[in-house]
Amino acid sequence: MTKIEVLGTGCAKCKRLFANAEQAVKDLQITAEVIKVEDIAEIVERGVMLPPALSINGEVRAEGRIPDVNEIKKMLTE
Amino acid sequence: MAEKPTCSCGANEPKRIIFPCAGQANVGQLTNLAAIQLTEEGYGNIACAALLAIGTESLVTNAMNADEVVILDGCTMLCAKKIAGAQGVAAGQHLVLTELGITKGPSKSYTDDDVEKIVAACWKGEGRVENIAKPGKKTSGKDSGCGCGGTC
Repeated sequence: MTKIEVLGTGCAKCKRLFANAEQAVKDLQITAEVIKVEDIAEIVERGVMLPPALSINGEVRAEGRIPDVNEIKKMLTE
Repeated sequence: MAEKPTCSCGANEPKRIIFPCAGQANVGQLTNLAAIQLTEEGYGNIACAALLAIGTESLVTNAMNADEVVILDGCTMLCAKKIAGAQGVAAGQHLVLTELGITKGPSKSYTDDDVEKIVAACWKGEGRVENIAKPGKKTSGKDSGCGCGGTC
């Protein structure tokens, strides 16, 4: 199962990214786990210096910006 | 009330400029409120469509230099889009509120949910315009339809 993580401390932008990721999963009708990683220590440990970040199956695909739904869908179908 | 970012994250966000139509109807006023909330959330910066309409050079230049121009129209009159088009400014994202399911008039009332629907649609990129070389780039004519993105 695809694992999508939104790494960010929980501000408005992080919430928007989380919503976009959920929408992308819904649109593609795939089974995926979308989770938030809000612990700053873990975020830094993962090498993310510019939150929010989007990680798909452990790989950071976007950092410091909010990809829109279509962009996330493309990432998920690559 | 818009939720303001509590951190300085999002440093890689594109530079966006947002033009609400700001018409007198409820949907026009909603474009204004949504643009303000988007600005507060760090999506982009609200700018005045009326100022663009009179061809203010500095604003036209700013719009041309933006990574993306976001146009919010209340209804299918598409006033803001036409204003931008008259100055050669193309939208990277264009949303029409009535197409999002918000009814135009006769009431002037609106809800926070209406504003949230528009703001969320922007963040999701629901109005993204495909096939332009660079959003906001000056085009050779109004809706010429050549698809070159203003390079011809």
